[in-house]
Amino acid sequence: MQTTQPARSSMLRALALWLTGAFAGALIFIMGVAVGVTMSQPGGMLHPSSLPFIPFNNIEASLSTDSAPNTTQSRGRINTALLNDVLRRLREQWYGTLPSDDALTDGAIRGMVNALGDPYTQYIEPRFARILREDMSGQFEGIGATLKQIENGGGVQIVRVFPNSPAERGGVLPGDIIEAVDGVSVRDLSTTEVAALIRGPRGTKVQLTLRRANEPRPVEITLVRSVIIIPLVEGRLVSNNEIAYVSLFDFSQQASRQLETELRKLLAHNPRGLILDLRDNPGGLLSQAVEVGDLFLDEGTFVIERDYRGRTRTTRTTKKGLAQDIPLVVLVNAGSASAAEIVAGAIQDRGRGVLIGERTFGKGSVQSPQTLSNGGQLRITIERWFTPNDRLIHEVGISPNYTVTRTLDDQKAGRDPQLEAAIAWLNTGQITPQP
Amino acid sequence: MKLPRMAYAVGLLLWSAIAFGMGLSLQAWLPLRTETSAVPTPSVVQQQLHPLLDEAWQLIETHALVELPPTTSLEHGAIRGLVSSIGDPHAQFNEPAQDHLVRGHLRGSFGGIGVRFVLNDAGQIVLTPLANGPAARAGVQNGDILLSVDGKALPSPARLEDAAGLQGEVGSTVTIEVSRNAQRLQFWITRELIRIPSVEWELTGDGQRVGWVRIHQFTEQTASELQETLRALKQHNTTAYILDLRDNSGGLLDAAVEVASQFIPEGVIAIEQSRGQAEQIFHVKRRESRLGLDKPLVVLVNQQTASAAEIVASAIQHHRRGRLVGTRTFGKGSVQRLFALSDGSSLRLTTSRWLTAGRQTLDQRGLMPDVEVEEASEQLRAAIRLLSEAVAQSR
Repeated sequence: MQTTQPARSSMLRALALWLTGAFAGALIFIMGVAVGVTMSQPGGMLHPSSLPFIPFNNIEASLSTDSAPNTTQSRGRINTALLNDVLRRLREQWYGTLPSDDALTDGAIRGMVNALGDPYTQYIEPRFARILREDMSGQFEGIGATLKQIENGGGVQIVRVFPNSPAERGGVLPGDIIEAVDGVSVRDLSTTEVAALIRGPRGTKVQLTLRRANEPRPVEITLVRSVIIIPLVEGRLVSNNEIAYVSLFDFSQQASRQLETELRKLLAHNPRGLILDLRDNPGGLLSQAVEVGDLFLDEGTFVIERDYRGRTRTTRTTKKGLAQDIPLVVLVNAGSASAAEIVAGAIQDRGRGVLIGERTFGKGSVQSPQTLSNGGQLRITIERWFTPNDRLIHEVGISPNYTVTRTLDDQKAGRDPQLEAAIAWLNTGQITPQP
Repeated sequence: MKLPRMAYAVGLLLWSAIAFGMGLSLQAWLPLRTETSAVPTPSVVQQQLHPLLDEAWQLIETHALVELPPTTSLEHGAIRGLVSSIGDPHAQFNEPAQDHLVRGHLRGSFGGIGVRFVLNDAGQIVLTPLANGPAARAGVQNGDILLSVDGKALPSPARLEDAAGLQGEVGSTVTIEVSRNAQRLQFWITRELIRIPSVEWELTGDGQRVGWVRIHQFTEQTASELQETLRALKQHNTTAYILDLRDNSGGLLDAAVEVASQFIPEGVIAIEQSRGQAEQIFHVKRRESRLGLDKPLVVLVNQQTASAAEIVASAIQHHRRGRLVGTRTFGKGSVQRLFALSDGSSLRLTTSRWLTAGRQTLDQRGLMPDVEVEEASEQLRAAIRLLSEAVAQSR
């Protein structure tokens, strides 16, 4: 009988894998949904308008005419006989009290959307869809923290706590896992949904129950929400003040304006090189990506979009630009996503600068938010992005010119080999080999 | 040991894999019952749900960039989502292929080629043929990776139910393609009746006089397998029984009642309560030639002893027929039913709860053994010790 033991452990391993596989389809990759900050997430690059397309403002957009017309064939309606049968069983035979009709409807739509197998095409329940719409306008109030989804249903975790925010003052720490908001368990909710619960008008209170490493009991913290103003940009001079370093945190409404202001200040010192840090930048608005790209790039192709109708649209940068000549290094890592990848990809393809760091996330698709008649939102993947040299970004990512890693130990010790490599490259034209 | 060890491993692996794949832990107690269809009555949900689903579907169909799966996948997806929204951890929608596997294993036998299959790290289905089974005789080897079934290539990564096509009618033929050492090999295999034994036994204790009976699952075959086992033990002149229900996650209700009836002379085994219906009381079935009534009995239980297995253990404890040794059991007090749906898929739902003969629910609490033995390796020894004392006393 002992012979069955190894078999069982291999079984469990196989099952664990299977479960992982099963979840992968339903996983919603949202990194860095900000609570009380700007909406910024690789899964959240929304087309700024509803369908059909409205060309982006201030951008030269060309619509190719030789592409295939919309040949979508209607495949008929959903057969509801089976669904009716299931509903009847639930009503008549389930040993329990059914949730509201709205909740059942939400469940069915969510299930159908998950069956598409595209993690970025999502259904958002009406109660959360409302908050999401507010997000994109960039005006809301909260606690000043960023959230991320732990893989495989592990819950939602605090990634970043902004200085002088209610979260920081209340003692919220990066790494804390949110168990409950105002006493409501959030274990099964997505980042978007948890963020929706945490947000609220300034002056109101929210209670967080947090699970923290090395704390046997959950930590309870009550915070007063306020208006969160967070700098999107951080700049300084490094390497004997000869090199300018600027970090951009996301691509929300104010991104290019704040970056431009910071660049102006730094360039006034006549640095010999510039480092643009897009690490852990989860993206944001495409319009901001174009404006940011335009700061560094001369006239030319910036990004190519191909949509569900087979149409191609090329967006170009213009002649203007604040930093078109200064030697440039862009720092990227696996947290650089979406708009950040477009900027990095264009700078690389156009030979404007070199990329140092790690391969980027690989989120190169656009979702269009569609409001359903129940107030819920369907975000459908409608486009994919390609770099100026027609490289697919989605699920591929952008590989840096020089791969330099930064380990967890490096971070804990305050070391930054990627930044050091960037400085070395700007000073000597080569990177110092890693030990 | 009477039955081939491999066969046991197969049964456990497959069954457990399926149970897990259905989104459950190993606690499944599924009285198989096919319900007849009644005329559906419209409800608010239906009025609201269908137009919304249609609306969502139209939007997806018009705008989606990704290639769309067949409409049936979306229907099944909607049902899956609907079922998961009710908050029943044991509810599960099974697509036809999955349902086929579930039923085959509840029956305890099915037409197949005699292979064990598991998913490896790369999402491939790895085969292990049963000794002398159809697949082994055809030349399938341990570690072969399944590539296609009847010309249909497996998706990557594969799911376990993608191998459902290996099963089919006894006497029918299936063509499989496997990869072995970077070579592609094809096999034509005729399916045979594959049995997954749910009961195994061996002799243990001083002088090999204790019959150690392990029940892994409660399938349609369990009652007759136990009958055979007890007959064989009688021929070996055993003086006592160990009924080992450790790691038994349950199975069919009827099978549990039959098993309890082999050991308990008379009385109530369990009580089932459904909503809006009179409770149903399950009594001992006084079959002829019951062989487990007289000799001293110990039941081994652990944390993985659940549902149908807890029914048997609780009834034996309640009627003081034998003592329970081991650790506290899992504690599953709900009953699921498997409903067949029109397209070959099925729906499992929690439809009732059950109480012990003493009218207790074990839900969340489990059953406390009479003699607690934490250490797994000590449990069998403790059982043998108790039985030899009992046998000595009865002399």
